[in-house]
Amino acid sequence: MDAASYILSVAPAFMAYYLTSLGQGFFEKSGVLNLSIDGVFVLGIAVAYAASIYSCSPWVGLAAAVLTAVVFGMLLTYVTTKFPVSHGAAGLSIMFLGYGLAGLVGVAARNTYNEMVVSGIYPQFTLPVTPIAKVLMFAIPVGLGILLYLLEVRTKLGAAVRAVGEDPHAATSLGIDVLRVRLIAAALGYSLIGAGSAGFLTWVATWSEGTGINHGWIAYAVSLAAGRHPLLTVGTAGAFAILATYMYTLQAAYNLSPEIAKMIPFIVAIGAMVTFMSTPLRKKLAPPQSLGRRFFKEERTV
Amino acid sequence: MTLLKTYKKDFSSKNKPPVVSVVGISKKFPGSIALDGVDFTILEGEVHALLGENGAGKTTLVKILYGIYVPDRGEIYVRGRKAQINSPKEAIRQGIVMVSQVPQLIDKLTVAENLILGLEKYGFITRVGKVRYFIREKSREVGIEVDPDTEVWKLSYTQKQLVELLRALLLNAKVLLLDEAITFLPLIEKKKFYKFIRDFANKSGSVILITHKIYEALEVADRITVLRLGRVVGTVPRSKVSPDVVRKMMFAERSSQVTYERLPMSTPRESAALEISDLWVMGDHGDHAVRGVSLTLRAGEVMGIAGIAGNGQKELIQAIVGLRRVEKGRIRLYSEDITNRSVSKVRIRGVGYIPDQPAKYGLSLENSIEENLAMLPSLTNRLINWGSIRDLARKLIKEFNIMTPSPKTPVKFLSGGNIMKVLVSRELLVARRLLVAYNPTRALDEVTAIMVRKIIKEKASTEGIGVLVASEDLDEILQISDRIAVMNSGRVVRVFSSSEAVRDEIEKLMVM
Repeated sequence: MDAASYILSVAPAFMAYYLTSLGQGFFEKSGVLNLSIDGVFVLGIAVAYAASIYSCSPWVGLAAAVLTAVVFGMLLTYVTTKFPVSHGAAGLSIMFLGYGLAGLVGVAARNTYNEMVVSGIYPQFTLPVTPIAKVLMFAIPVGLGILLYLLEVRTKLGAAVRAVGEDPHAATSLGIDVLRVRLIAAALGYSLIGAGSAGFLTWVATWSEGTGINHGWIAYAVSLAAGRHPLLTVGTAGAFAILATYMYTLQAAYNLSPEIAKMIPFIVAIGAMVTFMSTPLRKKLAPPQSLGRRFFKEERTV
Repeated sequence: MTLLKTYKKDFSSKNKPPVVSVVGISKKFPGSIALDGVDFTILEGEVHALLGENGAGKTTLVKILYGIYVPDRGEIYVRGRKAQINSPKEAIRQGIVMVSQVPQLIDKLTVAENLILGLEKYGFITRVGKVRYFIREKSREVGIEVDPDTEVWKLSYTQKQLVELLRALLLNAKVLLLDEAITFLPLIEKKKFYKFIRDFANKSGSVILITHKIYEALEVADRITVLRLGRVVGTVPRSKVSPDVVRKMMFAERSSQVTYERLPMSTPRESAALEISDLWVMGDHGDHAVRGVSLTLRAGEVMGIAGIAGNGQKELIQAIVGLRRVEKGRIRLYSEDITNRSVSKVRIRGVGYIPDQPAKYGLSLENSIEENLAMLPSLTNRLINWGSIRDLARKLIKEFNIMTPSPKTPVKFLSGGNIMKVLVSRELLVARRLLVAYNPTRALDEVTAIMVRKIIKEKASTEGIGVLVASEDLDEILQISDRIAVMNSGRVVRVFSSSEAVRDEIEKLMVM
């Protein structure tokens, strides 16, 4: 294999991680702590798998995953912004809901698929393996990342999302509807998470119960390690995708135990965070000040 | 009170139409009634001051007008039409804009980003750059210099307040709610704001000015409404009242406690409580804020530091308590060198500290009065004796007349002035050897402010502690100090004894 093929092999993992962490970073900029990510990611994969089988189209699978993720993201946002509910508790509840639903949806679809195979009429999907397809798997997510970055730093919506993440009370006073802005951030962020979960299927190419578990957390770490910056996330997503794609090669080459290998992404995330927090990047990449804080509209404060 | 009722009916500006009226507004908070059946009207083109002691309900009333709180009962009319104002967005639509004591801007965003957020004519996908020109144009028009691309955290407090005013103008405000917005400004800037307010009213704008400074209200307002314990005491035209009448409306029989006479000299002891020699301290912007200050404060003495904000007073005080690094020079507390010691090491030696902006730097708003006492190492050991802390909290609540449902109520539920009282009372308790304070009574009403000054003075006299008070309020400095040091550009330019201190001369040194 030449260098180019090595790089192209990373494309599916990169696409899945980058899109998911991009959505994660943007959504959390609005101040909602997103602990639902792994559950919704796993559910997204199952829904994409099921919808592709029932409709015989991977594009319908993608749309269904995006839609499902958006619904759950907006649910988390609504619950945590409209009511003074703990972000952590709401997020983790939705995560477990995601795991459960993923099993229900995926197993039913797999049974249907098996029956279809027996009857001899079943959808056959070709994985995007051509070099052009793989280049697009890099280019399209990065293009979306650039667009999202411009949206974040150049537009009123970007300013509004950052404002509600920093100080929702001050943002309200400035004339912003916090719930509305957070719902928009959830719709955009979670559509990327949904797309990332559907993209994950192009990497693993199969579904069984539990597919994708922990990869949502890896995307979370990817986003954290880049300080939620859409462009820096290209670097961390790339690094994590290489680690994930060549995990077995690395294990063999350095005689690593699988347990240690699985810990590497999280160790890297902590290391990256500590590194940038000790540099001038600290101010630029600091987490939103109100991330995870309960928001009471009528709280009496000075 | 009959006299006041007559005043209430006397509208000097009869011909002007009311812009906003509130009728029978009531609002309860957990454990307290903030407003109880308040009627209030603001006319077109008038400056209407809202006065009242701490916790009278002034802020609650304007927050209702700005849609931050929804009233439990009562109605709001805007230009004669009943209005439902349930968010600031709706208030802005009605032409009502609020500027608070604490700037409600997002620090990490640029000025332009902050300002575009409220402008409804721009959709979400609008480029922020599009308003840059608009901001520049408008700011030139009103004589405010501000770069739209500067991040707000880089601005001074005064600049932030100017941005807030600019915001109100960009939003085309017809009614401006100024909630102690001028209180924390330096003297010179205050005068500019007065002019701005007058000009705004002359162009048919209406201003509600919340202040606890009676003279400020008399200087700029056309009418004055006084609130006490959530009720309207009366509305009077400025031309027909004296400070004494307003004071009586605010404090009733307690108004006789207000005096600006110099408090009796304390008797300084021989020993030096605080010795500062050739002190150099950096400011926030990379240059020296304190430049070679040397001072000696004797035990039992109150020294006032007069000066306009931003002349090194804040940095000097922060260096003393260990919050800011000393670059050069020494600080000694009763002969012990405390230069660059940690805050806890300084505080545990009996140093009380009242910072500027108490809600931000002095207390934890999420915690109760009890917890705010218990968190101080000088008041507790490793194990907290909650029984004694509770007794202490009750004692302070009674002594300082802190309006709170209980010692267990989170401090954030208290009014601004009452929050300040919690801080001041705690620090007076902690200060066994030295008290350093920056604007200790700025957020307090007259009666409480004078009470605090008397307590500080008495404590210095009887307990022999040294007190260093920096304040922008020259009345405060003149009333409380045994000696007055004037600071300008990071240096102490002169030290007066209280007998030789002349207001004019001090003011000249402050601005030279």
